[in-house]
Amino acid sequence: MSFAIVLGAWVATGLTLFIFSFLYKDNPLFKIAEHLYVGVSLGYTIVKTYDSVVMTLIIRPILDKGEWSLLIPVAIGTLMLARYVPKAAWLSRYAFAFIVGVGAGLAIPRTISSFILKQIEDTVRPLMTIAPGDGVTFSFDLLSPASNLNAIIILFGVVSVLFYFFFSVEHTGTGKLVARAGIMFLMISFGAAFGYTVMARMSLLIGRLTDLIEFSGTSYGSPTLWLLALVIITLVVLERRSRTSPPE
Amino acid sequence: MSFAERMLQIDRRIIFMVIGVCTLLPLLFPVGLPIKISQEVRGVFDYIEGLPEGSVFLLSLDFDPASKPELHPQAIAILRHAFRKNLRVIAMTLWVTGTGLADQIITQIAEEAGKTNEKDYVFLGWSPGGSAVIVNMGQDLYTAFPADYGGKPTKGLPVLAGVNNLRDVNYAVSLAAGNPGVEAWYVFGKDKYKFELGGGCTGVIAPGLYPLLRSGQVNGLIGGLRGAAEYEGLVGQKGQAIAGMDAQSATHLAIIVLVIICNVFYLGLRRSGVPQGR
Repeated sequence: MSFAIVLGAWVATGLTLFIFSFLYKDNPLFKIAEHLYVGVSLGYTIVKTYDSVVMTLIIRPILDKGEWSLLIPVAIGTLMLARYVPKAAWLSRYAFAFIVGVGAGLAIPRTISSFILKQIEDTVRPLMTIAPGDGVTFSFDLLSPASNLNAIIILFGVVSVLFYFFFSVEHTGTGKLVARAGIMFLMISFGAAFGYTVMARMSLLIGRLTDLIEFSGTSYGSPTLWLLALVIITLVVLERRSRTSPPE
Repeated sequence: MSFAERMLQIDRRIIFMVIGVCTLLPLLFPVGLPIKISQEVRGVFDYIEGLPEGSVFLLSLDFDPASKPELHPQAIAILRHAFRKNLRVIAMTLWVTGTGLADQIITQIAEEAGKTNEKDYVFLGWSPGGSAVIVNMGQDLYTAFPADYGGKPTKGLPVLAGVNNLRDVNYAVSLAAGNPGVEAWYVFGKDKYKFELGGGCTGVIAPGLYPLLRSGQVNGLIGGLRGAAEYEGLVGQKGQAIAGMDAQSATHLAIIVLVIICNVFYLGLRRSGVPQGR
């Protein structure tokens, strides 16, 4: 096994255990890992952005292919930096105006089409179809999981939740019942979202524990065992120190 | 202080310990619980299965190492499937922090499948702009990615023969940990350039994507580690996801039991008239 892989295993194991040590209490090991994470992420982003944007999309095309028109977006982008010069800060508004204009122009029609219109279309699926010559055809089938029973539930759910957030009418009588149904739908939705979130977080834990188990092997030098011992000793020492030192 | 009160004020580190043990034990001693394949995961599998050899398959790995445990097994299973079907694979990412991981995944699986870079697959890397990259690719793929991740010009690569923009893609799958991801690929990609789209995602964002599945905006959805395990089962290659499903089930059981116990104690206190909210 190469030195790079073994070193990577030790670093990954150490940082995982340092982060997990927070479950006991906040401590310097956790702080080291936390600050490293932020620093490495930022450094990685800067290097990748420089390579992918500045070099690949700007400098190389200009120098190799003479695509001087690229200087126009570069100039607009550079205006952003004017924010750091108070007297010229107003120039950055042109860059922001460009970004907001393009972004809104791209996003608004597409979002309306994709989310609002398409979802409304799916919410109000017809329970029956009228074809010329064939008369009325009912597409309702209780036995099929994809039947329109789901459509009815979804339609009722959407209407009741919308009614719950409709505050211009007092929720009394039938309105109260509908609003209560809306709350029930919301609660089911929150429950499903929370359940999935728990599943996701547990998956992350499983991922880390899987790596820790793998790195406990002797081929890596058993970093899990050594570093676990280090973390436990450090926590014990810190705990003793905090008990013996006078409160601030 | 009653037993119920003491239990409700239990040191949270004991709960962490219980969850940790419930996760660790099944990983050390796997049971091999059965995994049922859901319709949404089968949707992605069946579509790839039905693609003819040489079809263009775009895989957007829109995640970073923070979501590796959930999306890494999904990416591996899908790539194995795509290479087994001899599809032309175009891989890319919309997340700058995910480029290294994405490159590692595609290189590893391509080597395993005996595929050649630039001929059977290409990793385009990352391009700035987020969702705008998708629009750019829809107009001209070579403007969005003039060079691949290795710096080689994309124009003329054998794997991209006949591919000018997203309209030439037969199937695209976004494995997403957030935005830009599956939604962006639908809104700025499929809805405009009319290619078929599937999705894979972390458990956290899965509930928000189900409306897209029902309306047919995505033809399949692989949700979290569970979805990855199902796909591994369909591909017939056991991996990290299947190995983790026992632990997932045990942890879920532990959490359900804890929730029930807490509620029983809480209701008990409520009935005994002990003031709440402490």
